[in-house]
Amino acid sequence: MTRIYQFLLTLYPRKYRELFASEMIQVFQEAAGERRDHGRGAYAGFVLREMLGLMMGAAGAWLGRDPVRPAAPTGVPSCPPEIVEAQRRVDASIAGMVHAIAHHDFQKARFYSIAERKLREKLRRLKELHGISD
Amino acid sequence: MRHVVERTNDESRPLTEPVLLILMSLADKPRHGYALLRDIEALSQGRVRLSTGTLYGALRRLLEERWIERFVQEDTSREKQSYRLTMAGRWQLELELDRMRQLTRAGMARLRASEA
Repeated sequence: MTRIYQFLLTLYPRKYRELFASEMIQVFQEAAGERRDHGRGAYAGFVLREMLGLMMGAAGAWLGRDPVRPAAPTGVPSCPPEIVEAQRRVDASIAGMVHAIAHHDFQKARFYSIAERKLREKLRRLKELHGISD
Repeated sequence: MRHVVERTNDESRPLTEPVLLILMSLADKPRHGYALLRDIEALSQGRVRLSTGTLYGALRRLLEERWIERFVQEDTSREKQSYRLTMAGRWQLELELDRMRQLTRAGMARLRASEA
């Protein structure tokens, strides 16, 4: 089965294979060993899932499909990029503040808090400029 | 007055389930590929079994985003590549969990209101 797996790995871009192929084979072999112990049905399901996963993974690697977030829904009104960026900065500063508080770094938390207020004000002005309500 | 239904930048969209589970799995300690597969299955109570193709597709993107780091774990008998969360990855996980918490709260409030 490992041979078929190795063959399917050749469907991936070369750089991807160089980085992950040997590791993927190792993980596949470990997982296959464990699934074999669960009986034929479990092993067959595992093999099928692995082969399909490789084919879809290879297609995704070539097409540049992003597995981190699902595709944006269609038909949603677009938002000006400067507002998107401003919102992203506000979110990042909040995340920074939360993280700093969680680690009892209150000086840093204060820094993020001040930054967040300024960024939020900038976001408000941008929205006003574009006639966008919250 | 124009109304924005939803922010359409990347940050506003939820993470895919495999990515969320990978980040969650790495939140307490670094893990190598096989350990990730097993832990994700346990975290999802057996509901999610990632294939290696799906796992490494997600890991590659997370490495590109610098949400995780790859390193060789020294304390294993065989040399194994392991993965750990970066600060940026931890923040993204916190953001996503916060988003889910807000949604859950809002959803539960609606349910309670309909029952009242």
